[in-house]
Amino acid sequence: MTNFQNYKHFFPIFKNNPDLVYLDSGATTLKPQIVLDKMMEYYTKYSANIHRGIYGISEMATEEYEKSREKLRKFIGGQDGQVIFTGGTTEAINLVARGWGDKNLVEGEEIVVTEMEHHSNLIPWQELVKRKNLRLKFMTVNNYELRVTNFGKVIDKKTRLLAITQVSNVTGSVNPIKKIIEEARKINPKIVVVVDGAQAVAHRPVDLQDLGCDFYAFSGHKMYGPTGIGVLWAKEERYKEMEPIKFGGGMIAEVGLLESTFSSGVEKFEGGTPPIAEAIGMGVAVDFIEKIGMTKIKKHEEELTAYLRFKLEKVAGIKTFSAWQSGIVAMEIAGVHPHDVAQILADRGVCVRAGHHCAMPLHKALGVEATTRVSLGIYNTKEDIDKLVEGLEAVKKIFNI
Amino acid sequence: MDDIYRDLIIDRYQNPKNRGKIKGIEASEANLLCGDKLLISAEIKNGVITEIKFDGGGCAISMAAVDLLLDKIKGKKLSEIKKMSGKEVEEMMGVELTPARKKCAYLGLEVVKKLGE
Repeated sequence: MTNFQNYKHFFPIFKNNPDLVYLDSGATTLKPQIVLDKMMEYYTKYSANIHRGIYGISEMATEEYEKSREKLRKFIGGQDGQVIFTGGTTEAINLVARGWGDKNLVEGEEIVVTEMEHHSNLIPWQELVKRKNLRLKFMTVNNYELRVTNFGKVIDKKTRLLAITQVSNVTGSVNPIKKIIEEARKINPKIVVVVDGAQAVAHRPVDLQDLGCDFYAFSGHKMYGPTGIGVLWAKEERYKEMEPIKFGGGMIAEVGLLESTFSSGVEKFEGGTPPIAEAIGMGVAVDFIEKIGMTKIKKHEEELTAYLRFKLEKVAGIKTFSAWQSGIVAMEIAGVHPHDVAQILADRGVCVRAGHHCAMPLHKALGVEATTRVSLGIYNTKEDIDKLVEGLEAVKKIFNI
Repeated sequence: MDDIYRDLIIDRYQNPKNRGKIKGIEASEANLLCGDKLLISAEIKNGVITEIKFDGGGCAISMAAVDLLLDKIKGKKLSEIKKMSGKEVEEMMGVELTPARKKCAYLGLEVVKKLGE
């Protein structure tokens, strides 16, 4: 308990809601003041469009926007690839499916996805499979881990693409991505790997040089940054194989009435005016994370996760679904619907998520319709967890359990 | 706090009086977002509900609401029921609900209104 830091003062929402117990960081994280200040700085000091004006404030906006891109590249160790700004993880994965998949996959080839994916790393592939007449196969889950024993049966020479999450948004399972990629490439060296990093980047160090994937997608709003912005990182070779999917302003070289050519740079994939303030804000979210330090963040959350586990395991009648590898746990109280659990907690100022958390197939594999989910962030404290547990005891009392 | 989880609600959720299925006309609805499913089966004679049961699963609010509702509408004309409002369901429950939970409470009435359509 000693030296356990409280980071709430970085987040203005706690000034307005001093009793807020926020345990839904898996859905979206709260925003620190410096991110908001930076966005306000853009709007009040240089709110011009980027890559267009030759006047001062437009150049300033462009510089900040590009600086943010470089920060994000460094943040994930993506030197050997391109950072494309997207609307978020969902849009990033859709860009891979349409911009790379439509062009490079051919009938009869296979895509492998895991059973623990968020719908955003499943449905784009289902749709791609329909468009291109491909086959979709699955790595299954056993005891909150991906079943790798039958790896060779799922991945074969016809498998061209593997889409996998780094951290499960339901069970907090941390997949051994590097090892999985190495094994997959032993079977098929040509396999292209797409990693959903949405639940990872704000909670553990990510080094794409080491990971070895082809595409990496993540969101600003799950890493203490703004909503409406995200990143698709693409390895240089894959990047060159991609085609734009958003056509219009800002992405062209030369336009004629019947035909046009596109920019050679990354803006080719960022058609239209991007969310400039959000992109700049996302860069400052990186500054925020680095200011605290990823090692410290990870340690803080690991300590909290251990405490959460200890406390929850002492509450009789609660079944938890978690690998306890990241600060995310789904749970069930027999005889109480998750919405009722969440409601009773909400009445006590404790915010948790109830439902299937955009992971219906995983819930099916876990054998539950819906769960109540707790997910941690840097601002959480042991007191927050105590309040959660008090709330859960109240649920049990109300339902006579 | 916890006002909506009065004893009546918890009791009806845990010991429903109208759970089951009968032969007759049926209507159903699923709220996929929260995983609620509801099937209502009824026997109707001359436009009057003579017997009615519900089956399915959901939160305490939705399940207690439908159980109370079926008590109330048994013996009534289907045409009368179609005029009922969600407010009446809340009155039966004796609670005031937030917008998010109104959806749960009104599920039963929505399905009942679909009977015979």
